[in-house]
Amino acid sequence: MTTQSIAIAKHRFGFGYYRQVYWNWLIGSAFFLGGIGGATFLLSLITAFRPGMILGYLVVVVGKNTAHLTFLGRPERFWRAAMRPDRSWIARGIWATGLFAVSGFVCLLPQGRLAGWAIPAVILSAAHVVAMVSAFFIMFYDGFVMNSSPAIAFWHSKMLPLLILMYASLGGTTISLTLRELASNDDPAVLSQAEHVLLVVNFLLLAGYLARMSRWTPAARETVRLLLRGPYARVFLGLVVAVGLLATLLLSIVQQNVVGAPWLVILIALCELTGDFALVMVLLKSGLFSPQSPPSWETTRRS
Amino acid sequence: MARLGMVIDLRRCIGCNACTLACKQENGTPEDIHYARVITREVGTYPATKRTFLPVLCNHCEDAPCAQACPSGATWIREDGIVMVDRNKCIGCRACAVACPYMNRHFIERGLLENGYSTDGLSPYEAVKFTEFEEGTMTKCTLCAHRVDAGLQPACVITCPTDARIFGDWDDPQGKLQKLVDERGGWSLLPECKTKPKVYYLDE
Repeated sequence: MTTQSIAIAKHRFGFGYYRQVYWNWLIGSAFFLGGIGGATFLLSLITAFRPGMILGYLVVVVGKNTAHLTFLGRPERFWRAAMRPDRSWIARGIWATGLFAVSGFVCLLPQGRLAGWAIPAVILSAAHVVAMVSAFFIMFYDGFVMNSSPAIAFWHSKMLPLLILMYASLGGTTISLTLRELASNDDPAVLSQAEHVLLVVNFLLLAGYLARMSRWTPAARETVRLLLRGPYARVFLGLVVAVGLLATLLLSIVQQNVVGAPWLVILIALCELTGDFALVMVLLKSGLFSPQSPPSWETTRRS
Repeated sequence: MARLGMVIDLRRCIGCNACTLACKQENGTPEDIHYARVITREVGTYPATKRTFLPVLCNHCEDAPCAQACPSGATWIREDGIVMVDRNKCIGCRACAVACPYMNRHFIERGLLENGYSTDGLSPYEAVKFTEFEEGTMTKCTLCAHRVDAGLQPACVITCPTDARIFGDWDDPQGKLQKLVDERGGWSLLPECKTKPKVYYLDE
């Protein structure tokens, strides 16, 4: 049998890799909004920055949940998604989102009062803890949702939840920085340094992820090829790497030496968030199912 | 308790897709939804070419990743090992489809049940069969559970003109499945996914 490379199958009766077609941009948006919203809320809660808390809360509770509900085939049964937290990361995520909606709301109450009623300090403290834990969980659980699928080799890596967490942290840091620059006169030096570190760390993490996947299964290697030399190369190299990481880093370094340039702050945020969203989308779109083949066909796989 | 499954003899398969059609007829699945299908591949270089066939269906895995991924409990496994979907519990999140390495989960898109294969609406047959589906939910091969419960074999098995599909119980010591695999060395698809499929294949 001659050696032939394996192409992407055009239909399910054909032989080859199969594209992931089930999760679309709505799921991508939900993952993206959950990551940046949770991180923005968490960072703002830690630094007692109320505008950031409000924005992060709305991004998760309104943005992420709306995207999820719009995606579901039977949105009226959404509550059923919480039924199996013992085995499903989606169910765990539903619980975390629900807890976040309640505890985050309590955290956002002005002076801890609801309709004139002063909420006891114990409840307020508990709400803070629950909100922090659930916001942190929301930042990265999508990585486990994807990682738990054995079908798509490119996702089935323990590094994926870490990558998702670090990108969420970067997005949250960028939004917090932007809000602080635009809404107040706080000195965000620590956050600014954190953003620089996260940009470098994410670049290294992304490179490490691709290096790991390029030595993984044939389907994972094919996805790496699609990202670096195939149809997703423009989005991956252009938006994720060049705009999302390199341009963001360069602009943020420039911004440190420029005083009173809100347009630059907004531009940095747009670059970073574009790269963040593009990464989630290419992760979803470039996922491939392995070809189904007898052992006798295996000799023809791309090496 | 049984462990129902199947052995597919690739030496016998001629790629006629009779199983595909029998399944469509038995289950009345909507357009573009095939519980059973035959993956076809051309190998070699002209003129020394040939076509090889791989009939596939739900593997009714013991460690079914679709059941693990289902957040609502809609996917469940019967005592005889058949993996089922309760459409009344399914929320249409498609996590099972992403989790199944064999791509044997099917989503019924909105509007799919409004039109059948013809352009004139539903045929009388489709009007009856489509009541068993629900838009916005997942569907899958049930190993013809309704036939199995009636003591019959799955439609794809009885239709195969070359007897390439052998249905039975893996736990039956006198059964054909284990005997065939022991004699001819069967294998399952994508063993690296560790799903413990109950559909095995015999080499060409």
